Amino acid sequence: MSINNIVTKLENLLRSETKSCFVGIWTDEHQMIAAATKVREHGCKEFDCITPFPMHEVDEAVGISRSIIPWVTFFAGLAGCGFGLWFTWWVSAVNWPLNIGGKPMWSLPAFIPVIFELTILFAALSSVGAMFALNGLPKVDPPVIDPDLTCHKFAVYVLESDKAYDKAAIEKIFSDHGAETIKMAEI
Amino acid sequence: MASANVNLELPKDYEVSAKTKTMMSILMFIGLVAFTMTMVNNPERAWSAYLIGLFYFITLALGGLFFVAIQHMTSAGWSVSIRRLVEAFTAFLPYGFALTIIYFIFGGPVLYDWFHADRVAADHLLAHKASYLNKTFFAIRILVFFGLWLYFAKRLVGSSVLQDKNKDVSLTTKLVKPAIACVMTFAVSYSFFSIDLLMALEPHWFSTIFGVYCFGGMFQSTMAALIILIYHLRKRGLGKGYITDDHLHDIGKFLFAFTVFWAYIAFSQYMLIWYANLPEETIFFKPRSEGQWMWVSLALMLFKFIIPFFALMPRWAKRNINHLVAISCLVLVMQFVDMYWLIYPNLDHHHTVFGLSEIGIFLGFVGFFIYAVTRFLSKNQIVATGDPRLEEALHHHVVY
Repeated sequence: MSINNIVTKLENLLRSETKSCFVGIWTDEHQMIAAATKVREHGCKEFDCITPFPMHEVDEAVGISRSIIPWVTFFAGLAGCGFGLWFTWWVSAVNWPLNIGGKPMWSLPAFIPVIFELTILFAALSSVGAMFALNGLPKVDPPVIDPDLTCHKFAVYVLESDKAYDKAAIEKIFSDHGAETIKMAEI
Repeated sequence: MASANVNLELPKDYEVSAKTKTMMSILMFIGLVAFTMTMVNNPERAWSAYLIGLFYFITLALGGLFFVAIQHMTSAGWSVSIRRLVEAFTAFLPYGFALTIIYFIFGGPVLYDWFHADRVAADHLLAHKASYLNKTFFAIRILVFFGLWLYFAKRLVGSSVLQDKNKDVSLTTKLVKPAIACVMTFAVSYSFFSIDLLMALEPHWFSTIFGVYCFGGMFQSTMAALIILIYHLRKRGLGKGYITDDHLHDIGKFLFAFTVFWAYIAFSQYMLIWYANLPEETIFFKPRSEGQWMWVSLALMLFKFIIPFFALMPRWAKRNINHLVAISCLVLVMQFVDMYWLIYPNLDHHHTVFGLSEIGIFLGFVGFFIYAVTRFLSKNQIVATGDPRLEEALHHHVVY
């Protein structure tokens, strides 16, 4: 198998299936936010905004709930702490006992730094891992709705699979709020 | 969510209510009576209790000064609407200065062995350290430190108060340099101040991290006191629209961070001394890890670190003022226990001497501090409305 084949295989593995969606595009972010709020009030759940810069208003307009990552961090931290406790005990009192300075084999104060670092290591790596997993990263070659969405345009897209998906109603919301472009796209 | 506060009224002025006045008079009276009565029976105990209150509240006042300085140093916008409350803590500094002078003259000879020439001559280590640990140099240090602190308090807080009236934007930009100078001198002066007042009680012992240890407790308790002051103002219906849940959230984060910081430093100090096991270092921890004192040490770990750590972890915990106030009260009580733990084993190695004397004398200091802070707040606006960054503070929005 050539290198190219492997790369293609890997790419296909990381290339998620696209879903079709209905998109409205604005150059005015306030109208985009108003439209997104209306889409949420319409009852849609599977929809999101694409903005060229972070906008805190989007969280509220789309109704994004809090991430579960803090819980991942917390329990991974506890796991790291527990692992550190067990590991320092096993290494220094069971598997390879070494007497240092006449102190007990398993002297907790000496191992607190190790346990502390393992707590942080587990918590930090798990948080980053969970962030990647929840965002579906890494992703290869995702479809582009409009190249200007990374520059000066704002979009709201509603997935066709949404239970409350109603093309006519959403089209009306988009056009009422003055969307420049309204189209079907892949995401 | 940030919204425009176009029609926000000027903050209402704070007035010291008759109830507060009576309360602080009673507290100060209790303090005076408790001190006099303890003085008659046991001067060493009286001055030890006095030292708890003295260091505790000078620490809070300096915590206020330090917090104000780092806000100016970093040109912070978010904190403008709460800055005046922290500035109010510095109002205790002049009183703290007077109380320190009284302590130096009358309390010093009672508590510090190195105040007495005969004891210094009889003790090789004390004689060796006499070039630093002597009365004259101690007096000079107190004067220099308070001189610096009072100067910086006047410079930073004075400008802020002046700005309320003349709205001069340049006052803010002019404060960056003094704020940096303040933080740098503070680091040195507060370290030596804690060494002089607390570490020198046991002059044979030394710990190079001691100043940082006191600083950790300082920042933690200053944030706790600030939360309680905000709660007090909210009860009065003051600061609405200026001091929001988003500010509380960030103060809560500071409280959380410095709870961890204090524990980190406390453990660093303990672990290195435990590991090296040198007699001149372990004399500090030996009495504190035996009998009754061991329980106080464990209580410090549990109530000053573990419980606040978990209680402040969730997001909601930092946005709920009732919850924050409960944790702040715990932290402030534990800061008292921390001072007690640092000072009292020198009085009695084996027993935790505690009673009405300690509580009463401390309450006297509480009354004094409340008097200084409320007097400052009633004389000035409760929000620094002249600060050009006020808008930024009003729109402060904490996402996570």
